[in-house]
Amino acid sequence: MKSFSPRRVVAMARKEFRHILRDGQTLAIILVLPVFMMFLYGYALNLDPSEIAVIVEDAEGSRESRFVISAIDASDMFAVVGTRNAAAHPEALFRGQDVRAVFRIPAGFTHSLRSAGSPARVQVLIDGADPNLATLIRNAAAPLVRGASLEILGISPPSLIAPLSVILYNPEQKSSLYFVPGLMAVILLLISALLTSVTLVREKESGTLEQLFITPLHPFEILTGKMLPYILLAAVDGVLVMAVGYAAFDLRVKGSLLFLSFASLIYIFAGLSLGLLISTVAKRQQHAMMLALGATLMPSVILSGFIFPIAGMPAFLQALSHIIPATWFLEIVRGVVLKGTGLAELGLQVLALSVEGFLLLGLALLKFRSKL
Amino acid sequence: MNGAASIETRGLTKTFGTFTAVDAIDVSVKRGEIFGFLGANGAGKTTAIRMLCGLLTPSSGAGKVAGFDIMRQGADIRTRIGYMAQKFSLYPDLTLEQNMRLYGSLYGLPRRELRDRIDKMAEQVGLSDKLSRKTQELPLGWQQRLSLACANLHRPEILFLDEPTGSVDPLSRRRFWDMLHSLSQAGTTIFVTTHYMDEAEYCHRISLMASGRIAAEGSPAELKSRLDCASLQDVFLKVMQKEARLGNGQAGERK
Repeated sequence: MKSFSPRRVVAMARKEFRHILRDGQTLAIILVLPVFMMFLYGYALNLDPSEIAVIVEDAEGSRESRFVISAIDASDMFAVVGTRNAAAHPEALFRGQDVRAVFRIPAGFTHSLRSAGSPARVQVLIDGADPNLATLIRNAAAPLVRGASLEILGISPPSLIAPLSVILYNPEQKSSLYFVPGLMAVILLLISALLTSVTLVREKESGTLEQLFITPLHPFEILTGKMLPYILLAAVDGVLVMAVGYAAFDLRVKGSLLFLSFASLIYIFAGLSLGLLISTVAKRQQHAMMLALGATLMPSVILSGFIFPIAGMPAFLQALSHIIPATWFLEIVRGVVLKGTGLAELGLQVLALSVEGFLLLGLALLKFRSKL
Repeated sequence: MNGAASIETRGLTKTFGTFTAVDAIDVSVKRGEIFGFLGANGAGKTTAIRMLCGLLTPSSGAGKVAGFDIMRQGADIRTRIGYMAQKFSLYPDLTLEQNMRLYGSLYGLPRRELRDRIDKMAEQVGLSDKLSRKTQELPLGWQQRLSLACANLHRPEILFLDEPTGSVDPLSRRRFWDMLHSLSQAGTTIFVTTHYMDEAEYCHRISLMASGRIAAEGSPAELKSRLDCASLQDVFLKVMQKEARLGNGQAGERK
């Protein structure tokens, strides 16, 4: 076979750039989608609930019960949207309004509180339709009520063993700091796997790929030329995500940007190989699109730990999640961005990504060659 | 290699599973000749042409194209041939000039020479004033001429044309064939498949394919006199009917 010619590859790449610039849809996927997804995930998909609407039923109406109510309202977690003194049918409250919990202070609350022997009780009815939220409410409600009670009695909390939690890396526990680096993983894969598989299948469909195979171009030159623009664009998107993260979400990269770029390129390479493999299987553009979405977007959002913690998955899904390149890359981005880790700690992840990239490429080339 | 065979095959065969698409064909085409490859749909024309261009590996047989072995020297062959597929396969979203520039660069033409050749070729096919138009805006007949221009930019020794004039109006076809004749006179070998009999008349020599085999071969005049027919149309029908009577059980359909 003829040797590798940079000039021919550049001619291919230039042609591919022209297609992208002429095609508004592709441009939109490359430039608008990442920003759109960032704001969607960064703001809308907020896992830090605050000011959850609750109602308090105060059957006692004493100074003490009002103190408890103000303590609930003063917390970041809850907002008291109504108080009532009669026991209405509580379920009607959950159904009719955005109320997630009802705190019920019974008559005789203060009396029980002040007399030894019979514990004072405050009932918390929680809307369990959203289990995550219900757990958060339950965990927040108990210490809140207990604290208020102790204050009424004028006792400082007994000093037993008090775990002192110090949260490192993301002390304010902002979800956006967790999501934005994760979006890198989703978006880079989307550009590198989805767009390349679709563009290759388009050429297959229109017969232009065959026309290229007739020229002296080696298949490897065709592929390199076609992929080059997408590598560049994926890199641009990586920078875009980081820049928007910096400007809109106060994201500061703790670790080395150089290492992050290096790891991103390996990840893009794995994505391209996946896209190539998809293009050898798919016959039509829509087919490629569906396959690529199924192989990239879905697993990288659901299985990679992007939203749902991998530790909470059943064993076989945990195993599956470690086949997905996004899982490895997520560990890298989050490590570098939030914790400032580098190659020393993330060697395994980098190695896993490289191996996956080469495996996918090998498979794709085998299929690509036998096709024509 | 004046006078030498430009294309030469012996027992060229391609099977797909149990189906034999091309069954041991012998083809010999001289330099500068216009060789017409005729046959009904599914006769194996496209498969044969794809093997000669190196797009498909033959199952068995041997052959040389432009002096190179089709089994082993595909890369050398590809620099010396031009190919125009049945279906228009240039990029519709690029301009004419961008398409031509792309193909010229892929064949490694130096920048300055490419410039000259594009101008010359555009003039030859009558598209000089359309170079900056988007390819998809052109009517089909013009797109076909652009395909010819692109396939010919690197001045190949042999042009392979697979049903180049399908769904093009008669005037455009006529014009297209005039271009082929001037190329042939300049020494380019032209291997063309068609099922238009008026086009077959323009060929120096034709070969009739049926069920993967060559059923008849010769110049249009020879064939007409040999089979005692007034027109190539009759020749075609007579040969096909004879083939059908032989009743070979392998009349599958494949392109």
